[in-house]
Formats: sequence, C-alpha cells, structure tokens
Amino acid sequence: METLDGTEWDVVIAGTGLPQSLLALSLSRSGKSVLHLDRNDYYGGNEAALSLSEARDWATKHAATGEEAHNTTFSHATIQENAVEEGGIKLSQPRAYSLALAPHVIHAQSKLLAALVSSRMHNQLEFQAVGSWFLAEPLSENDGSRSHITRVPSGREDIFRDNTFDLRAKRSLMKFLRFVQNYEEQPQAWQSDAERPFPDFLQQKFGLPPSSHGALLSLTLLPSAANSTSTGSALPLIARHLRSIGVFGPGFGAVLPKWGGLAEIAQVACRAGAVGGGVYVLKKGIDSISSASEDHIKLVLSDGEKITTRWLAGCSDDLPPIGTREITGRMTRSISIVTPPLVQLFPPTSEGGVTPAGAVVIVPSSTADEPPVQIVAHSHESGECPSTQSVLYGSVALPYEQGKTHLAAAVEAVLQGYEESSHHSLWSLCYHQNNVREERGPSTNTIVLAHAPLELGLSDSTFDEVKLAWQQITGETEGFMVFEAREGMEDDD
Amino acid sequence: MSDSPAPSAPKPSSSVKLVLLGEAAVGKSSLVLRFVNDAFEPNKEPTIGAAFLTQKCNLPNRTIKFEIWDTAGQERFASLAPMYYRNAQSALVVYDITKASSLVKAKHWIAELQRQASPGIVIALVGNKLDLVEDEEEGEAQEGEGEGEGEEDGKVRRVSTKEGKDYADEENLLFFETSAKSGHNVNEVFTAIANAIPETSLKGPRGGAGGATQAALGSGAQDNSRVNLNANADAGPKEGCAC
Ligand SMILES: Nc1nc2c(ncn2[C@@H]2O[C@H](COP(=O)(O)OP(=O)(O)OP(=O)(O)O)[C@@H](O)[C@H]2O)c(=O)[nH]1
Ligand SMILES: [Mg+2]
Repeated sequence: METLDGTEWDVVIAGTGLPQSLLALSLSRSGKSVLHLDRNDYYGGNEAALSLSEARDWATKHAATGEEAHNTTFSHATIQENAVEEGGIKLSQPRAYSLALAPHVIHAQSKLLAALVSSRMHNQLEFQAVGSWFLAEPLSENDGSRSHITRVPSGREDIFRDNTFDLRAKRSLMKFLRFVQNYEEQPQAWQSDAERPFPDFLQQKFGLPPSSHGALLSLTLLPSAANSTSTGSALPLIARHLRSIGVFGPGFGAVLPKWGGLAEIAQVACRAGAVGGGVYVLKKGIDSISSASEDHIKLVLSDGEKITTRWLAGCSDDLPPIGTREITGRMTRSISIVTPPLVQLFPPTSEGGVTPAGAVVIVPSSTADEPPVQIVAHSHESGECPSTQSVLYGSVALPYEQGKTHLAAAVEAVLQGYEESSHHSLWSLCYHQNNVREERGPSTNTIVLAHAPLELGLSDSTFDEVKLAWQQITGETEGFMVFEAREGMEDDD
Repeated sequence: MSDSPAPSAPKPSSSVKLVLLGEAAVGKSSLVLRFVNDAFEPNKEPTIGAAFLTQKCNLPNRTIKFEIWDTAGQERFASLAPMYYRNAQSALVVYDITKASSLVKAKHWIAELQRQASPGIVIALVGNKLDLVEDEEEGEAQEGEGEGEGEEDGKVRRVSTKEGKDYADEENLLFFETSAKSGHNVNEVFTAIANAIPETSLKGPRGGAGGATQAALGSGAQDNSRVNLNANADAGPKEGCAC
C-alpha cells in the first residue's frame, strides 16, 4: 500500500458521517483534491448502519460509563439478547441486519432531498414513506393491561372521522391547522407567545383541550417535554409536517432512506466522491494539527504520516480538540429488533399508494415536565431486518439510567399495543448520545462541522452548514450540489 | 404471475447493483466498456478511484438495469471496495489468465465478499484476455516460464481453465473465460449474473430482507414501497393536507 506521507491536498476531510461525506462529494466535483479519512474501519461515522456483528463491536467500543463518558458522543452501550422460546422466530444471520445509528425522518421539503436530486444522487438511493404517526398511552397510566395506540389523524377527513375528539375539539383543531398553514403571515397571533409553553398556547388561544395536545406535539418530533416545548419552536415544525404531506404522493409527507437511514446517503456520497476523484482511506485518523504556513496546515496522521493541506474539515469527533467543546444535546437511545413484524404500524396511506416502511410512535411521559419517548419504527421493507421482524429506534432526552427505563417501558407498550400480544423483542442495543459542538478554533482554514442533529426530524442545519463550508472553501456562491449528468450515467426512466 | 405477458405490457424492470473487483490491468473497465458500448480500447487508462456506468440487459421475462461500479485495481489505500459492495446484489471478480498473481488477488476479493458483502450476493469469477492465448492448446497452463517474460507479445496462459473453473465450483461462483478485446463471452457473463439474481431479491439484496416487496413484479408494477423524489411535479399537496 502506498504512503500518504508528504502528500499535499486542497482539502482533508475527517470522518465519513453525513455532513463530511456531502462536503467531500461537493468539493471533489468542484475540482478540489480531496483526501477523505475515517479513523474507523467502516463508513458512516456517527450515522453508520451496522450489521449485528458490527453492532456488537460498536457497543464494546462505546461501553464507557465513567468520567470519560461525559464528553464523548456515544457511551453506555449495552446489548441485550433475549432468549427465544422453542420454535419461535430467532435472529437471522448478522448480515441480514443493517441497523441505523441515524434513523432520521426526512420531510419532503427538506433541502437535503432537493440537493440529492440536483446532484443526481437520488438515482443511487431508494426512499420509502414514513406513513403514520401514532400516540401511545402515557407510560404510568398504563395499568399493565393492553396499552392503547392510536393513529394521529393526518388530515381533515381523518379528523372528522376520529372519535377521540368531540365536535367542539374538532372545530378548534381545524381552526388551529388552518392557522399553522400560514402562521408566518400572522405574527400577531403567536409572536408574543413564542417563548411560552406550546400546550398553554393551544389551550388559551385555540381552546384546544389537553387531550389534543399530544397529537400536535407528536408532529413536531421535538424531544423536549411538553412544558418545555415553546410555541415558537413548535409552530414551524408542525407547519413543516403539514406542508410536506402530499408532496411525494398522497397521504404522507416524510421519507426514510432504505438500507439504514442516513448511512446510506453518506455512503452514496462517498461512492460518488470517489468517482469524482476523492481519495478514501479508512482506519486513519488525525492526531495533530499545526500550521505550516499562512495558508497551509500540517497534519500528523494516526500512523505518523505527515501531510499538508490548505483546508481541514470534519466533525469534532474526528479532530483533535481545537476550540472549546460544548454539549448541546443529550439523548438515550435504543435499537430493538422485534418479532413478529408490527404490520399495524405501516398501513397504506392512500389507496394504491406506496407501502410505508416507516412510522413514528410517540409515548408521552406521565407528566408534562418529562420528555416523551419517541420511536421510529422501520418495517423489513427498509432492508434493515428480515421479513419476520421489525426494528424500533427509540430515543428520549433523559440521562442514561432513567432513559433506559423509559425506553424499555415504551417499547414494551408498543409491543403490547396490539391484539396478538405475542410481540417481543429479540435483541436490543441501548446507548447514550451527546451532541458535541465545537466552536471554531483559531485557525481560519479549519472548519468544524456540527454533527447531524439528534432530533429525529432532520433539520436543514446540516445542509446549510455543509453549503457554507463549500462556499468558504471554493469561494463560489452558486452551484452547491448541482452536477451535470456524466457520461454513461443516465437518469432513471 | 403470468408466464407470457401480453405483448403490449412492458416487461418488469429492476435495477441490480454490480461491483467489479480485481487486480490492476486485468481488464475490468474493458469488460464494462465492451458490455456498455460494445467497444475496446487497446491502451485503456487505469481507473482512478471508481467509475459508474449503467446498462440494460434484456431477459425473456424481465429487464435488468445494471448499475455498475468499476473500481480501480491499483487502489492505493484498500479502502474503496467496502463502500461499493455494501448492498450490491452482484460482483464480478476479474483476473487475467496470463498472470497467475491476478488469480491470487481474485481469491482474496472473493473471500472478502463472502465475509462482508450481502449474504445473497451473486459472484461471477472471470478469467479475461482469452484472445492472447487463443492459438494455444485449449486450457493448458504453460509451466516453468517465469512471470513477466515476453511482456509485449507471446503472452502465455498462466492459469488453466480447469484451475479457475474448479475454484469457482468449490466456492459456488459463476465462471467464464472472456476477452474484452474480441467480445467473447462478455454479454454471457452479464446475462448469467442477471439470470442468477433470485427474483425475490430483486429489490432486496440482503438475504430474506425486503423480498416481499416484489409481489407486484409479475404485473410489471414498480416496487410498491419506493417513493419517487421527482414526483412532486405532478402530485402537489393533495388529500391528507390538513387545510
Ligand atoms: N488483449 C487483451 N487486452 C485486454 C483485454 N482486456 C483489457 N485489455 C487491456 O489491458 C489493459 C488494462 O485494461 P483495463 O480495462 O484498463 O484494466 P482494469 O482492470 O480496469 O485496470 P484498473 O482500472 O487499473 O484496475 C488495457 O490496455 C486493455 O486494453 C482483453 O481481453 N484482451
Ligand atoms: Mg479500470
């Protein structure tokens, strides 16, 4: 194998997560020489998709629980494999799974989707619908018997057909939904309440009863407790949800990338980046950074090789500390492989429409001061598990011990929510994730990108930040992620 | 599922990801060029990084659209292949029948694919540059001559047909000897791969995962879970919109 020692680059990018992979691709297509490194022996970084055996290795690597776990992205990882009764469905071979560390829901109007189309990357990707949103009964109100899971009405007809609301509530709900559609144009109706808890706003301004708050909060995909969710943060997200519905087909507004969440997008970007001339090296990290001259940075790689580059970009996990680090989000998360498949979560969203592969289940907490458990369910159609199973990705904004208990109870509530109560979990991984943010260091040609956000509804922040980095490095303003068709690379029919 | 679709009905079509692996200069890109453009370049440049091409393959009952990832054999840091064989339904591992070391490298790739790639991946082993030895006795490897001798002309076979074939049989691989130069057996390789892809895995390369989506295949319908990101032009917010 060749050595990198002494090589010079326009840009060195550390880590192959989604932000870095999009940046590497866009720069390689702008004629920059790009060296894309990952200290891991797999692609995808914090957004990777893992087989069962990879997940086992990953958990071992991120098992720390002490001091050192405070400032790292992943910690506390533990795997539980449950015994299978005689003749029951067992786990399949490890590679039959592709478990997503980033099972984000992507709304139709997300800038990322538009960029995937303008860069023609969408031809290499497969997207599936996230069809329905569900609300489970709050955790402690469940007396141990069957829990209730109700579908959140997703449109006008749905609301009228719904029998959980009385006529007055239905009218208030319709009024609220009409307001959200163009809330920006009516600042007088909400701006003075922007900082107030959203439930209060719903109750006081629209007369919406508390029984309807959960449904509306679920559409935001915010991890915060009801009482800590501000009106100003909830409104744009509910608007995002409503405005996305129908864009790619009737009855749904969000999608997921098949084969393991954001990992697949990152991977496709890397593939295209290599075709665009980027050089890819796994199992190599960056040990130290020093400035070689005014516009050159000297890097020492993990195996001692020294290289120089004009620009360095990466997320804080893949760079030696440059500036001050700060934790901007904390979440306890779980991945559960369950059987038999939870087909009830994936009803068709319209006649003759696509079969959804994803669903969202919100399990509210018993008090409005505690955060809900959010579960993104993927059916086997996502390619992440065999057809006899489904995968539940849970997350809750609580510290590990407490979070783990809430997650386990919430997953159990989903599994017990249906008549055929033989649903059970075969395998689960639980871990804690910090969102580590780093302020830019003194060097002006080092760019620290934010990690993909923890919130399950993928915001445009990742896209915006990568675009900014691309503009900074190339000096261009237009044309980010807009690529011409290449020879031999035809579009889909 | 009907065996003979109505003449007017379009044949069901599905995409198949294929990754090409093998030592440098064995003829991977030349095989793709022959398959895609029916052409040959005597002095083809080495691939840098990777290349992507597509080509349709018409079978009696369906059309397979190959999405071909052609990797560089002289890949400098041995890190590229994993990103291409992930989720690939097929792999074409190429060696040069006039170069024994290239079969060693091919075996290395096959072992890696069997260890790391999708469980149901269809692998074809291909011994290329058959035209160079065609006047020689069929399938006999020349013994005793040092590697690298007679580089320019007078290429001799270093890997017998039997050696390649036996190994392929042992590992359950498709096997062909080809010439990208003459075109011999090139379409046959791709057709054989297309035929070997189990119908159930056409939308789901992983064993057992995602097969059921294809229930509609026989009727010519597309994968019914796939969302078309270009659909917004004709769709627009419809039913389901709350206001
Ligand atoms: N005689 C003969 N020459 C061939 C054949 N296939 C390829 N070549 C020649 O072998 C050389 C290498 O071919 P490529 O197709 O570039 O090989 P490759 O495997 O793609 O090489 P890398 O991209 O470096 O990995 C070129 O000069 C080709 O013209 C063949 O079937 N017969
Ligand atoms: Mg080549």
